[in-house]
Amino acid sequence: MSQVQARFFTENKKYLVDDVPFSIPAASEVADLSGVINKLLEANHDGHKHVEFDFLVRGQFLRTKLANHMETENISTEEVVEIEYVEKFTAPQPEECIMHDDWISSVEADSEWILTGSYDKTARIWSMEGKAVMTVAGHTDVVKDVAWVKRDGLSSLLLTTSLDQTIMLWEWNSERNEVKARHCCRGHAGSVDTVAVDPSRTKFCSGSWDKMLKIWSAVPTVEEDEMEEHNRPRKKQKTEQMGLTRTPLMTISGHNEAVSSVLWMDAEELCSASWDHTIRLWDAETGGQKSTLTGNKVFNCISYSPLCRRLASGSTDRHVRLWDPRSKDGSLVLLSLTSHNGWVTAVRWSPSHEHQLVSGSLDNVVKLWDTRSCKAPLYDLAAHEDKVLCVDWTENGLILSGGADNKLYTYRYSTCVSDAGA
Amino acid sequence: MRPTHSGTMSKVKNKKRNLEENEDEQLPIFDKDGGKDGHLDDGDEDQGDLSDSEESVFSGLEDSGSDSDDEEEEEDDDEEEDGTEEKSSDVEEDKAADGDGDDQLSAKEVTEPQTDGQHSKENKKKKKTAGKEGGEESVVSARDSGLQTSSQVDEYEHDTSDEEDIRNTVGNIPMEWYKDYPHIGYDLDGKKIFKPIRNKDELDEFLDKMENPDYWRTVQDKMTGADIRLSDEQVDLVHRLQEGKFGDVNFNEYEPAIDFFSNEVMIHPVTNRPQDKRSFIPSLIEKEKVGKLVHAIKMGWIKPRRPKETTPQYYDLWAKEDPNSILGRHKMHVPAPKLKLPGHEESYNPPPEYLMSEEERLAWEQQDPEDRKLSFLPQKFACLRAVPAYSRFIHERFERCLDLYLCPRQRKMRVNVNPEDLIPKLPKPKDLQPFPTTQSLVYRGHSSLVRSISTSPSGQWLVSGSDDCTVRFWEVSTARCLKTVEVGGAVKGVAWNPNPSICLVAISYDDTVVLLNPGLGDRLVSTATDQQISSYEEPEEVKEQPVQWTVAEGEGHEQGHRLILKHPKAVRQVTWHGKGDYLACVMPDNGSSLQVVIHQVSKRRTQNPFRKNKGLVQCVSFHPIRPYFFVATQRYVRVYNLIKQELTKKLMANCKWISSMATHPGGDNVICGSYDCRLAWFDLDLSTKPYKVLRHHKKALRSVAYHRHYPLFASGSDDGSVIVCHGMVYNDLLQNPLIVPVKVLKGHTITHDLGVLDVTFHPTQPWVFSSGADGTVRLFT
Repeated sequence: MSQVQARFFTENKKYLVDDVPFSIPAASEVADLSGVINKLLEANHDGHKHVEFDFLVRGQFLRTKLANHMETENISTEEVVEIEYVEKFTAPQPEECIMHDDWISSVEADSEWILTGSYDKTARIWSMEGKAVMTVAGHTDVVKDVAWVKRDGLSSLLLTTSLDQTIMLWEWNSERNEVKARHCCRGHAGSVDTVAVDPSRTKFCSGSWDKMLKIWSAVPTVEEDEMEEHNRPRKKQKTEQMGLTRTPLMTISGHNEAVSSVLWMDAEELCSASWDHTIRLWDAETGGQKSTLTGNKVFNCISYSPLCRRLASGSTDRHVRLWDPRSKDGSLVLLSLTSHNGWVTAVRWSPSHEHQLVSGSLDNVVKLWDTRSCKAPLYDLAAHEDKVLCVDWTENGLILSGGADNKLYTYRYSTCVSDAGA
Repeated sequence: MRPTHSGTMSKVKNKKRNLEENEDEQLPIFDKDGGKDGHLDDGDEDQGDLSDSEESVFSGLEDSGSDSDDEEEEEDDDEEEDGTEEKSSDVEEDKAADGDGDDQLSAKEVTEPQTDGQHSKENKKKKKTAGKEGGEESVVSARDSGLQTSSQVDEYEHDTSDEEDIRNTVGNIPMEWYKDYPHIGYDLDGKKIFKPIRNKDELDEFLDKMENPDYWRTVQDKMTGADIRLSDEQVDLVHRLQEGKFGDVNFNEYEPAIDFFSNEVMIHPVTNRPQDKRSFIPSLIEKEKVGKLVHAIKMGWIKPRRPKETTPQYYDLWAKEDPNSILGRHKMHVPAPKLKLPGHEESYNPPPEYLMSEEERLAWEQQDPEDRKLSFLPQKFACLRAVPAYSRFIHERFERCLDLYLCPRQRKMRVNVNPEDLIPKLPKPKDLQPFPTTQSLVYRGHSSLVRSISTSPSGQWLVSGSDDCTVRFWEVSTARCLKTVEVGGAVKGVAWNPNPSICLVAISYDDTVVLLNPGLGDRLVSTATDQQISSYEEPEEVKEQPVQWTVAEGEGHEQGHRLILKHPKAVRQVTWHGKGDYLACVMPDNGSSLQVVIHQVSKRRTQNPFRKNKGLVQCVSFHPIRPYFFVATQRYVRVYNLIKQELTKKLMANCKWISSMATHPGGDNVICGSYDCRLAWFDLDLSTKPYKVLRHHKKALRSVAYHRHYPLFASGSDDGSVIVCHGMVYNDLLQNPLIVPVKVLKGHTITHDLGVLDVTFHPTQPWVFSSGADGTVRLFT
C-alpha cells in the first residue's frame, strides 16, 4: 500500500498539530485523515473531544481518496503534500417549515422577521419561529419580489413588487401590527420581477419584464398627500388603500430582454441580469452602462458577495457561475459550479463566509456550495417537493428557501460546531 | 580597268548629283576622279590629297637635299616629280606651277606603270651619292638621315624577292660576314663600300645618348652601316605600324563602303561583251550523254525505279517488353504456392519424439481430416526396404494439383471505401448551438390532451388549449398556470396575436372562434385592446357574412371573452397574420367551397377568399412579409397572391397527407409535416418540389414550427419526440439552406397512440415548447 508524505496545518489555533510530515496511506479518505488528526490532538490535549475535520489540498476540498484527488489535481506523490484541515461544516439543521397558501416567489429575512412574497398576491411577515405576523395585501396580481427597506424601532419599511406592474412601499408597525401602503410606484410596463434597496436605504432599484431598470426614492413622503387632497377627494379613497403614486427618479434602459435580477454592488454601482444573456453594471448616479458580462444562457438570478467580490449567477442551464465584475474582459467565467439538474432560479452568497453560497433550482433541491469544492456541493437540502424559486441567507446564519410546494424552509447553519456553540 | 570603272561610277555619281544637289559629298574617292573630269575647284584639293597619299614615298627621294620639308614644298615636289620623269634628279631645280596639275596628274596616271623603273633609277643615283659620301660623312646630319630613311623606306616599299638592293651588291647575305672588314660590300662598280668610321666607345655612346636629343630616332643601316636619323614622318610611320594602323596618314580606314553592285539597275552593263556563240548552240556533249542514256533505257540496261513493297509489316508487340516494367502483367504475378518441405515426421525412421503416442493417435483419428495437423501418421520402419508404397500418393498429388488450380492468379485491387466518407459532411451539432437540449419545465394542469399551444409575442406567457375544454395561460419562466378559461368545447386551436400592441388570443373550439383578452402583460395594452373592441361601431349597411360576430357579455366577458365568431362548420385551425388584424380559420370539409375564411378583427368582417377549394384543406399560413397565403391540402401546398387574387405556386409535397405547415420568418422557405413521417422543406426560390425531405420521425408528424430568430425548426410527432433541426437560410441566393438535425427531445408519454401534438418556439430564446397527448406542455431549453 503506497504511502504519501503529508504535512497538516490549520488556521484554527485550537486544533494545531506538530508541523512534521506524516506518512499516511494514499488510499485514506476524509474520515481516516480526520481520525489521524483527532488522535494527534488527543495525544496533545487531554480533554479533547472528537471533532470531524475536512481537508483541503491546494485549496480544494478532499472528497475522494487522497491518491485519486492528487491524480486528478496533478499533484506529485513524491513530495510532501500540504494538507489544510478545517473543522467540518456541519449540515444545516432544518428549523421550520412555514406553509403558505400559494407558491412562494420571494423571500427576504432579517434578524427578526421573515418577509415572503407569494403567488396569492400577498406578502407575509413571519416571525423566526414560523408564526404568521402580518399579511400584506394590496397587489392585484402575483407578488414577485419583496425587500426590507429599513427597520428603525417598531416601524419598518418594506417593498413588494408584483406582476401588476407596480411596486408598493409599505410601512409596518410591529407593535400595533398594522401595515399601511405608503407609496405605489407606477411606471413599469411589465411585471416587476426584482427589486433591490441601495446600501444607504434611501433608494431602490427595480427591474421589470419591460427591459427597464428604474430607480426610485425609498423615503416615504406626505406632501403629495396633501396636495392631492383638495383636488381629488374621490381618488383619496383609493390612495388611502393603495398609497400615493410615485414616479421613478431614473429609468435605465439598455437590456434587450426582460430584467430578471438586480442588485447594488455599492452605493454608486448597480448590477442587473437579464434574459438577453448579459449581466450589466451601471452607474447609479448617471444611469450609464459601465461594463457587460456576456453569457450564453438566460440569467435568472445574481448575487454579489462583498467579501470575495464575486458575482454568482444562476441561469437556465444547470450551472452556477462565478464572475469577476471588475475584470475588463467581461465574459470571463471564473468558475462554474455544476450539480443541479434544472435551471438555477436563486443564488445567494453567504453574508459571513467568503467561500460559501446557496443555490436553488427547478430540480427541487437547494445546494450549499463552497467555492473551494467546485465539483460537488457541501450539502444538498432536498426538502422541497417542487421547484425552488427563492433562497435567502441571513447574517445570523439562517438559510431560507421557498418554492412551488408552498413551503418555506428555514435551516440553521453555522460554519462549524464550535461557532455554533459560541 | 580602273579608269573604265571609275568613269562609269563617276557618271553615275554625276547623275546622282544632278538629282540631289544639296546632298553632301560622301564619296570622296570618286570626287577626286570627278574633279579630274572637270570640277576644277574641287579638283585641286582632292588631287593634292590623292597624290600626297599615293606618292609620299617619292617625296622622300625627291626631297633629298631639299631644305624645306613643309607641306607646300612637298606638294611642289609632287608636282615636280610627276612632271619630270625624264628630268634629272636635281632636287632644287623645279618649281612647277599648280595650274597644270590636272594634266600632269593624268600624265602621271598614264605613266604609272613606269614608276618602278623610275624608282630604281633614282635609287641607283642615291646609292652613288651615298657611296660618294660614304667615307667622309662621319656623322650623318639629321637632315641627311631623314633623306636616307626616305630612301630606305622607299627601298623597303619596292623591295621584292627578285629585286636586289643595288646600292650594295653583296646580295641577300648575313651582314655579319663583313663584320671584320672595313668595308661592307661592293657597289655596282665593284668598289668597296666602306663602313662609316665608328670610333665611338661606350662613353661616347653614352654621352651621345644623353646629349643628342635625336638619339632615340637614330638607327643603323645594316646594308651601309650608316647611322640614320629618322624624320618625324618616319617616326610617325613607325608608330603607326607599331600600333597596327595603316601606314598612310591620310588613308581613311573607315570610309563608307560603296556598294558597287547596288540594287539600282544601270542602263549599261558592267561588261559590254557580246555573248558567245556557244551559248546559242545546243551542247554536243550533252546530246551525246543523253543519247547514251536513251539507248541504255531502250535496251533495258537502265530500269525505272523499283515499286515499293506494299505488304504490311508486323512487329512483335511483346518482343521488347521489359520484364521489370511495372505495367507488365508481372505486376500481378502471384507465385504458385510452395509445397511444404518434408520434415522429420515424414522420415521412415523418425526420431522417437515425432512418433505419436497412443493417445495422440486416437485423438488424430478422432479429428476431422481437415482439422488434422498432419495428414498421415508418422511411422517407423526398421529399414528403407521395409517401407511400403505410399497409399495416399495419388490423393496427395490430386490435392496439390487442386491447390495450384485454385490458387489466386491475380491480386485483386480492391477499392476500400469507407462508407462514412460517402456521407456528406455536416457541421457538428455542437457547433450549431444554441438549440434546445434538455427538458426544463413541465406545465402540468390539463387533464386531457393539449392540442395547441402558442406563446405571447413577448415570450412571457404561453397559452395552451386542451380537449378538457379549457384554455390555460402559463408563466413561461416558472410553469405557473396563471389563468384558466373554460370554453364550451374541446379546444382545437389557440393562437396568440403576434402584434405586441394587441392583447388577444384566438381560440377555436367546435364551430366557434373566441377572441379572448387574457389580461396578461402590459395593462395599458390590455385595456387599449378592450377599448378598441368596445368602440366598434356597426357599419350602416350590413353585408351578408358567412360568420356571425357577437360580442361576449356576462360571465364570458368576465373571463376575458371579447368576440365570439360562430362558423358554419367546425374550425380546426386559427392563425394570425403578422400584423395582427387578420385571422384565418380552417374548416376542413371535402368538396365544400367554404373551407378557409379570413376575418378582419378591426372591421369585424369575414371573407371567403376562395370560390372553390380543391381538396381537403389541412392548414393555412400567412406569408410573414408579403401578401401571400399558403394553403395546404392533403398533397399540395398552394401559394396564393392575395392582392392579385391568383395562384402563384403549387408545391408538390411528395407525401400522402400533409398535417402541418410552417413558414420561415424570411418567407422563402416552407416546411410541411405529414402523416407519413416525413418533413418536407421547400425552398420557394428553387422549385416546387421539396428541397429536402427528412424522415427522422417514426410516426406521423403532428406539428412543425420555425423559430422567429434562430435558425431552428422543430417537428413533433406521434412517437412522442420533438426533433430540432438547424435550418440555416442564407441571404446569399446562391447558397442553399443548411439543414442539420441537431437534437431529439423526448419527454412526452404516448397516450392513445398520440405523442406530441403541437410544437412552438419561444419568440426570443432558443427554447421549444411541445404539447402532448399526456396533458402536459413541456419546455426544452
